[in-house]
Amino acid sequence: MPKYSYPIMLLTLRMFLITHTIHVIAKMENQNHIEGNSIFAYADERLFSKEAIFKCLYWYGDHFHTTVNINDGYYQLQLTTAQEISREELKLFLQKLERDLIDFNLRDMVSKETQNVRDLLIAKAFSNGELDEDPPGEISDPVGFSVYENKG
Amino acid sequence: METLSPRTNRKFKDIGYYAEQQSNYFLLPFRFHRLNDDKEVLVNEVGDHLVVPLGTAGRIIQRQLSIEEDADLYGDLVAGFFIAEQEVPALIDVLATRYRTKKSFLDQFTSLHLFVITLRCEHTCHYCQVSRVTTNKDEFDMRYEHINKGIELMLQSPSDYLTMEFQGGEALLAFDKIVYAIERTKPLAAKLEKQVTYVICTNLAVLDEDILAYCKTNNVLLSTSLDGPGFIHNQNRRRPGNNSYELTIKGIELARKWLGTGNLSALMTTTNLSLDHPTEIVDEYFQQGFRSIFLRPVSPYGFALKNEKKNKYEIERFINFYKKALHHILDYNKRGEFFREEYATIILKKILTPFPVGYVDLNSPAGAITNVILFNYDGAVYASDESRMLAESGDFTFRLGHLDTDTYGDIFYGEKAQALSEVMVNETLPGCSECAFQSYCGADPVHNHATQGSVWGYRPTSTFCQKNMELIRYLIELMDGDPQTRQIFEGWISQRRAS
Repeated sequence: MPKYSYPIMLLTLRMFLITHTIHVIAKMENQNHIEGNSIFAYADERLFSKEAIFKCLYWYGDHFHTTVNINDGYYQLQLTTAQEISREELKLFLQKLERDLIDFNLRDMVSKETQNVRDLLIAKAFSNGELDEDPPGEISDPVGFSVYENKG
Repeated sequence: METLSPRTNRKFKDIGYYAEQQSNYFLLPFRFHRLNDDKEVLVNEVGDHLVVPLGTAGRIIQRQLSIEEDADLYGDLVAGFFIAEQEVPALIDVLATRYRTKKSFLDQFTSLHLFVITLRCEHTCHYCQVSRVTTNKDEFDMRYEHINKGIELMLQSPSDYLTMEFQGGEALLAFDKIVYAIERTKPLAAKLEKQVTYVICTNLAVLDEDILAYCKTNNVLLSTSLDGPGFIHNQNRRRPGNNSYELTIKGIELARKWLGTGNLSALMTTTNLSLDHPTEIVDEYFQQGFRSIFLRPVSPYGFALKNEKKNKYEIERFINFYKKALHHILDYNKRGEFFREEYATIILKKILTPFPVGYVDLNSPAGAITNVILFNYDGAVYASDESRMLAESGDFTFRLGHLDTDTYGDIFYGEKAQALSEVMVNETLPGCSECAFQSYCGADPVHNHATQGSVWGYRPTSTFCQKNMELIRYLIELMDGDPQTRQIFEGWISQRRAS
């Protein structure tokens, strides 16, 4: 078993503490919060789509000036009020924003996943039957009508 | 020898076939909206809805549903075309037919033709956008050549069923021109095998038995205005003698005597004064023998915009007013009476039936042009009634042409109509494209332009959006929370009393 010298252990410990602190600060920086008249919110770009972010923020344009940036893998959202709003009200807006971000991301997932089916559906709806197909499945004759063999 | 058409049957699959497919489901297009703190509503592409516990949409989308543990929900979602067990559902043609049915109001194209036969009126209602108190017939009555051209265009509509509605001012002040228009239309429509319904919008103040005799002979329907009890109606609808209410009630009685109760309808306009009296207004309609009421907010057009102090009330106030009135109407129903609210009925038909509703303000594509056209007293053609009200305040954005110079093609398929069609589809509008209530709502570029200065509109501050989103949410919540209310609502759309 290798033996480590005291200075190397100390250096390793310092490196660990620095890395950990940077990580904690980064995490703290990306925590949603309220500052003055602004709401700051963060969304991981691996989890949230750009479309979801913008569609969500659209609904906040009546109360806030909104800005979006990308930094270090996170969407940074800043919502600043034009009028005086109490901190309690801002907290409620932040809560709603966090909820809406998830909802709009889910909506975007459905929208992207079902785009082809929706296109097909609308094409079929207005194709005057040109795109209709027989439903799948085997044709059987459980009661024994033998309709195809009916010779009269 | 008679040949039988082939009859086919399809085999049931073994239950194991379905069990194997658990959690491998595919999403179909659907949208969702929070109803309250506990529930959300899912709405599919053809307007079928399902109320589920909050968080269900997330579970569905993240494939957390289990066919065994969530058997009922899973079954409902498959049956309701929210999810499918194949990438393209086997019954996609059925779904496509449902979609086509929902949009079938487009098949007949424009059916409602509004003729502003005169701008003259003997009322001076404070919210009125268009009327003139004058005896100058030459300037403010529709000219015969314009009536002729309007009829010619109307009869070019692909629709076999047309409505010719005479508006004012007070339309009955130009009754001679109404008679001329109807008499001219009758033989021409018969030749083209088109059925025309005639409607006169009137405040009834100048109604007499000669007019009613003509209406009876020619199956002309009357549509009047009743804003509530006398103290509200007379305040809203000013005229010399301050007796608009008394004349309206007398007119209603006389019209019913001649035409029967079914051939006279009434509309109310909500004003600031009305907002404090929801129950009194509902009671007035019931006491006057009406079994329906249409709770409409005041329109934000033309002269109405200028009178901000009286008319620009908050939409929240209207929503509160509407809810109070709706509950009062429901109370009548719970006591065994049939009495319905028309705006709710339009929305409920969209929610609960597979059929479209030909209501101009709640369609996508919008009802302006595709469903309604207006021929103004001066020969100008507008996309809707609201469009001409804007024109009265100098805004001609929705003027499509003129009866003197333009053809059917110029007006209905011209550059202006094509440009407008871009903003007439709520499926493509910002804020609407993701909205769960898209198929119950509509696009209204005229309202957007009038209230927000943009035909696209901006949903977060749109009164149209605020009103419809909340009323639709509320109706679904009411149905979900109380089976008796749902039964009453179903009665409203099928015209029967709830048992």
